[in-house]
Amino acid sequence: MTPRQILGLMAAAALAAVAAGANAQFRIPGIDVNRALDTVKNVVTVVNEPDEKQEREIGAEWAAILVGAAPLWANPGAQRYVNVVGRWVALHSERPDLDWQFGILDSDNVNAFATPGGYIFVTKGLVVRMRSEAELAGVLGHEIAHVVRKHHLKAMQTGALANIGGNVLTEVVGRRSGVPAELRSQLVNAGKQMFMRGLDKDDEYEADRMGVVLAARAGYDPYGLPAVLQTIAAMGAQSSELALLFETHPPPGARLDALERVMSPPLDRYATQPQVAERFVRSISGQ
Amino acid sequence: MRLAAAVAVLALAALPAAAQEFGFMVRQTEVKAEPFADAAAAGTLPERAKVQIVKRQGAWMQVKGDGAAGWVRMLAVRTESGSAGGAGSSGLASIFSFGRGGSSGTAVATGVRGLDKEQIRNATPNPNELARMKGYAASRADAERFGASAPRLASQRVDYVASASAPAAGGGGAGGGQASPLGGN
Repeated sequence: MTPRQILGLMAAAALAAVAAGANAQFRIPGIDVNRALDTVKNVVTVVNEPDEKQEREIGAEWAAILVGAAPLWANPGAQRYVNVVGRWVALHSERPDLDWQFGILDSDNVNAFATPGGYIFVTKGLVVRMRSEAELAGVLGHEIAHVVRKHHLKAMQTGALANIGGNVLTEVVGRRSGVPAELRSQLVNAGKQMFMRGLDKDDEYEADRMGVVLAARAGYDPYGLPAVLQTIAAMGAQSSELALLFETHPPPGARLDALERVMSPPLDRYATQPQVAERFVRSISGQ
Repeated sequence: MRLAAAVAVLALAALPAAAQEFGFMVRQTEVKAEPFADAAAAGTLPERAKVQIVKRQGAWMQVKGDGAAGWVRMLAVRTESGSAGGAGSSGLASIFSFGRGGSSGTAVATGVRGLDKEQIRNATPNPNELARMKGYAASRADAERFGASAPRLASQRVDYVASASAPAAGGGGAGGGQASPLGGN
């Protein structure tokens, strides 16, 4: 029996219990009707969610857009390096065994992206402006958090992109296996809109808060992400390399303010953990 | 890649001393003699005071300002537009300089390549390039070996932090706020 079938049975059982309670017009000892109703709601939500395989299929369609817009940077050493650093950080998340893949896109833009199921991208323009592995870990941690919390799917289901992506997502999930050809172009369009409009702003702040913790869990100085945000703030909103990032994220100053409110004191004790600047520069520069 | 690596070595050797970085204080801040909360005071910098950034160390920045020099919390500083913050101080940006010319040093008059709104709108998905990316993937074992190699990265149990207005991430859904030294099994 698949997890989906088990959930279906649970939903049916819970519905029956609720129906029994309602018909009998009195409280059944041992059954809290409200709780049973909540269970039904949760189960129904879960059934409408893509499972992990579908999540990855959707994520792969969207990741293919990004590498279609900008190919992988022809620097195999740097590509392998972001994969070990990224996987190491992801191991400290709640989804350590996703098939995580990381890539550096050959673009001068300063940006980073994630798609469902564990595809994570940073641009060359962002990586070369970093100073250390702790900074890279913080940025990857932010993107890993988007995947762990399924922010992209949430945006399509109920958030800013529900009008564009909600229907196609429901269709894809309904098919149970693979993305059928007739839905592919709709799914690709929804993904493009997502990259151009960005996620819900609260989810960006949440990814920042989680990113610094993931870096600390992985043994790095958690102040790497704020250091990158300072670099971005210093480049300025008028910088053409930053146009899309500024359109799709809260302003870096606001993100720094929000991090300042939560990082000290809880994360201060980890600020003496390594930044690993030397290995970072060596691995990216190919020496 | 050999050539690129050789060029990178040359470029690193030719790097100028780290460019100066400047910033300003976001609020009135007590300057510390050392990078610790309980270190001795070494003066005060007012809100908006301009500072030169000397060094970064975790949560702290060593700064020189008008009338006070020492350590302040890095998040009390905003780096200035146009300062070296934009170029980064690792020197990598000047090795892989772009727009103004590649590592060959010849000027190439290109705009920003790759991931503008228009370029995403017009992108054709490239599943072959995505398949190539899988070739660089690291397994759990690869990552664990990496963490254990020098410089060793010590896994920590750390809870997610709550925002002032929102509960800590991971209260439900896919997350789970449990702080695990190495997640999963």
